[in-house]
Amino acid sequence: MTAQVRRLVAVGGGSAVWIAALGLQRAFRHRQLEVTVVDTGPSRDAPPGHWTLPSQRGIHAMLGVREADLLRMGASFRLGTEHRGWNGAESRFLHVHGEIGTDIEKMPFYKYLQLAALSGREEKPEHYSVAAIAAGMARFARPKEGSALTASFTYGFHFEERPYAALLREIARVQGVRCIEGALAQVNRAADGNIEALQLVSGDRVEGDLFLDCSGRDAVLVNAVDAGEREDWTKWLPCDRQWSAIAAPQATPPPLTRTLAGNAGWLWWAPLAQSSMVGHVFSSAHISDDEALSQLRKVAPLQSEPVLTRLSQGKRRQPWVRNCIALGESATELEPLAGATLHLAQLGIGTLIELFPLDARSTVESVEYNRIMGEHADALRDFTLAHYLVNARSGAFWEATRREPAPARLAEKLDLYRANGRIVLLDNESFEEVDWAWLLLGSGCLPAVLEAQIHRLVEKVTPAEAAALHHRIVELAKSMPPHSQALRPHG
Amino acid sequence: MKFGIEFVDWARLGDSYIHPFGVYGGKMAGVPFHNYWLRQASQGIHTPLESYSLPIVASRQGKFTLPSEDHTSVLSTFGYAFQFDASLYAKYLRGFCEQRGVVRTDSKIVDVQLRGTDGWIESVKLENGASISGDLFIDCSGFRGLLIEQALKTGYDEWTKWLPCDRAAAVPCENSGPLTPYTRATAREAGWQWRIPLQHRTGNGYVYSSQFISDDEAGSKLLSRLDGKALADPRFLRFTAGRRRKTWNRNCVAIGLAGGFLEPLESTSIHLIQVAITTLIDYLPANMEFDERIVAGYNRWIEMEYDRVRDFLILHYHATERDDAPIWNYCRTMSIPDSLAHKMELFRERAKVVTYKDGLFLEPSWLAVYFGQRVMPRAYSPLADALPDAELASRLATVRTQIHEGVAGMPTHEEFLAQYCPAGMSGGKP
Repeated sequence: MTAQVRRLVAVGGGSAVWIAALGLQRAFRHRQLEVTVVDTGPSRDAPPGHWTLPSQRGIHAMLGVREADLLRMGASFRLGTEHRGWNGAESRFLHVHGEIGTDIEKMPFYKYLQLAALSGREEKPEHYSVAAIAAGMARFARPKEGSALTASFTYGFHFEERPYAALLREIARVQGVRCIEGALAQVNRAADGNIEALQLVSGDRVEGDLFLDCSGRDAVLVNAVDAGEREDWTKWLPCDRQWSAIAAPQATPPPLTRTLAGNAGWLWWAPLAQSSMVGHVFSSAHISDDEALSQLRKVAPLQSEPVLTRLSQGKRRQPWVRNCIALGESATELEPLAGATLHLAQLGIGTLIELFPLDARSTVESVEYNRIMGEHADALRDFTLAHYLVNARSGAFWEATRREPAPARLAEKLDLYRANGRIVLLDNESFEEVDWAWLLLGSGCLPAVLEAQIHRLVEKVTPAEAAALHHRIVELAKSMPPHSQALRPHG
Repeated sequence: MKFGIEFVDWARLGDSYIHPFGVYGGKMAGVPFHNYWLRQASQGIHTPLESYSLPIVASRQGKFTLPSEDHTSVLSTFGYAFQFDASLYAKYLRGFCEQRGVVRTDSKIVDVQLRGTDGWIESVKLENGASISGDLFIDCSGFRGLLIEQALKTGYDEWTKWLPCDRAAAVPCENSGPLTPYTRATAREAGWQWRIPLQHRTGNGYVYSSQFISDDEAGSKLLSRLDGKALADPRFLRFTAGRRRKTWNRNCVAIGLAGGFLEPLESTSIHLIQVAITTLIDYLPANMEFDERIVAGYNRWIEMEYDRVRDFLILHYHATERDDAPIWNYCRTMSIPDSLAHKMELFRERAKVVTYKDGLFLEPSWLAVYFGQRVMPRAYSPLADALPDAELASRLATVRTQIHEGVAGMPTHEEFLAQYCPAGMSGGKP
C-alpha cells in the first residue's frame, strides 16, 4: 500500500512560498501534482526587500520569471557587496560574484595577490575583476560568452519583496497553482502524526499529502508536527534584530549592496531604480532598538515606516519531519550578510524536487534531504561567520564575536588557509573558492606562506603582466553602460 | 589496456557485470539516465543496461580504442586504464627516477633516530653502516610501516569486520584465448580471484579470509582455476584492511601500504598512492615547515579518500544473495557503516545515488555495482516521467545504436596493441 503524493500544500505569505509552489508545480506538472498555496499574507515584520545571489537567475529561468518584469518593478542589478568599516573605520573591500584575474597555468590568479601581499606589495583583488571595476564606476552589463573576461562574472538582484511576491503569485496563478487567501486556524493531524489538513480561520479546510512550511520564523506547520530541535548559532552570530526600510535613492546607484560595520552589528544600503533599501542588523545585547534605528537613519532618509525584525540565528536539525518540510527561514535563520536568504529556500526546493517523495509515508527521502540541507546551512553559516572572524575591527561586540571558537568545520578551513593559503571546500558549499578569496584577501587575512608548488608558479608573474591585465579589465568596464541606464526595462 | 573490471558470481553464482570507466547513457533533461532505463523496465520494455555503456559493449566484444577528444562523439564517453606487471612497472619507474637524479640506496633500515625534543625522525640508520638524515621522510615500506608505525607508533584502524579478507596468494600463468580489455574478479568460496591479462602472461591471485580457508587450500584452489599453465609457485601475502590513524605524523608521510590497505578489488592501490603524493605536493608549504594545521588538513583529505573507497568495496561484499559459503553468509548479514547503509537504502527505495564532490567513485561506478549486484530500486525519480513514451524510446534507441556503431568501428584489443605498442618493443608511441 502506498500513499501517493498527489496534493501539495504550501503555506506562507512571502516570495518563498510562491517560488516553492511554482517550482514544484513546474517540475511535476506531468504527474498532475495539484499545488495549493495558503497565502497568509505579507508578514508585518518582514524586511522590505532582498539582495540576492546569482542563483536567483537560475530559479527565474526555471520558473519563467523575466528580467524585464523585475526591472519594471524597480529592481536593480547586483554584482556583489562592498563592505566598509569591517577592518577599521576607513577600510573597504569588495566581494563580487566573479573571478579575480585569469588563471595562471590553471592556478587561480588570487594566489599571485597573496604572494604580492606576503612580499609587502599590497594588491587589491578588485583591480583584477571586471565586475568590481564596473561596479566601482556604477556601470553594468550582462556577462557574455566570448572571452575569459567578458564571461568572468555573474550577478544577482536587489528588489522589493511585495511586488516580487505579487509577480510570482501571478505567474503561479496562470500556471494553475491554486491560491487560497486566509489565516491558519489549526493544523489537523492523522493518527500516524502526519498532517492531514489545514483548518483556516475562514472555515475552509485544505487537505494535502505533503505540506511545505514557508511561514518564515514562526514555522507554524512544522512546529505543530515536531517540537523541532534547533541548533542555536547565536554564540557565533549574536545579531538578533534588524531594522529595515525603504529609503531615498542613491545619487549614482552602483550595482552593489553596501554594508557598513557599526558598533553592534552592521548596516546595509541597497539601490533600487527609484529608491533604495536600508537595514541595520544588530545585537540587542550591545545596543538599544532606538539607538540602532537612529544609526540607520544616518545612512539615508527613510521613506517608509521602519520595520523591526527579530532574528534567532540557527537551524532546525530536521527541516523535513513526517509529511511536512520547513523551507527557507522556517528551517534556517541566518542574517542576510551573504545575501543568501532566498538562496536557502531555493536550495531546499531544488533538493526537494530531486528527492520528491513518491509515497507520503516514505522516510528515506527526508533523511537524505535533512543531511543535504544541514550541510548547505552549515556552509552558509560558515561563510557568514567568517566575515566576523577574520576582520580586525575593535569594540566590545566585535571582540566578543572573534573570541568564540569557530565551529570545527570552519576552524579547519581557516586554519589550513592561514598555514599555507589553501582553501578547501566540502560538499554542498554554495560559495566557491573565489568567494572565500574575496573575503579573506579583502579582510587582509593572509596565510603564513603559500603552497610550495603554487608559490613557484605565481612568482613568475611580473607586476607588468598584472598591470596589463588590470588595464584590459578597466577598458572592458569602461565600455559598459551606466547601471542606471541598464535598469530601464526594454520589454 | 583496461576498460573496467568484470565481476563474476558476486550477487549470485552465474552473474557477470562490468564496472566500466565511463557513463551509462548520460543525463537527459537533467535527470540521471538510469531513471529512464528503470522507467522503461517498469513498462515491460527490457534492454540490457550494458547496452548503454560503450566501454562495456566494447569489452564484451574484446574491442579497444583510445577515447576521442570530440565531446559530441560517443567515443568520448569513456576512459581507460592499464593492466601491467607490477614488478616491471616498478623497475621502469626506478629507472625513470634515477635518470632524473633520484639517488637510490640499496640497504636495510636497522634503526630510526628520533629527535629528543619532539619525536620527529632525525635519521635512519642502514645495515651498511650509513645514516641518512632528512627533513621529511616518506614511508613506502609497505604494510609493516617501518617509520610510521614501528618508529612513530601511529596506530591503525582495522576494517576487518567489513572487509574480512586478510591473505592473498598470487601466481602468473600462461595466456590462453583472446586478451580481454578488462580485469576479472570472480567471487570464490572464501574471497575472490583476480585475473589480469597481459600480453606475455596472465596475473592471477586469490584474495581470501584466513577465517574461512587455509593457505594450502587457497593455493591449490587458485592453481586449479587458471587459464593456462602456472609459471611459478604461488606467493602468499598477509594484510589487514584498514588505515593508519594519521598517514602524516610529525615529519613522516606514509604512502601506499604503509598508509593503509584496501584490497585490490577495485584496483585502488595505485590510485590511493597517487592521491597521497599529489595531495602532499598540493599541501606542502613554500617554507617546508610542517605546520600541524597543514598536517591535519592533509590527514582529513586522505581519510576522506580512504573512507569513501572503503564504503564502495564493502558494497561488493554486502550486496549478495549468495548463501553457499560461510563468508558470503557473514558478509550478507554483517552490519555495515551507517554512511553506506544510507546510500544503499536511498538507491533501493528510489534509485538515487548519493553523490559527493571529491573521492574516486562517482555515480556510474555506484550504478554499475548496485545494478550488477541486484540492488534493484523499487522506484525511479518521478522527474523521469516527464518525457513522452515515444520520445523516450527513440532517445534510448539512439544511444544504443550510437554505441553499437561506435564499437563496430573499433579494432580488437589485440589489433590495437599490435599497432600501438606490442610488448617487447623498447619504445612505441607515447
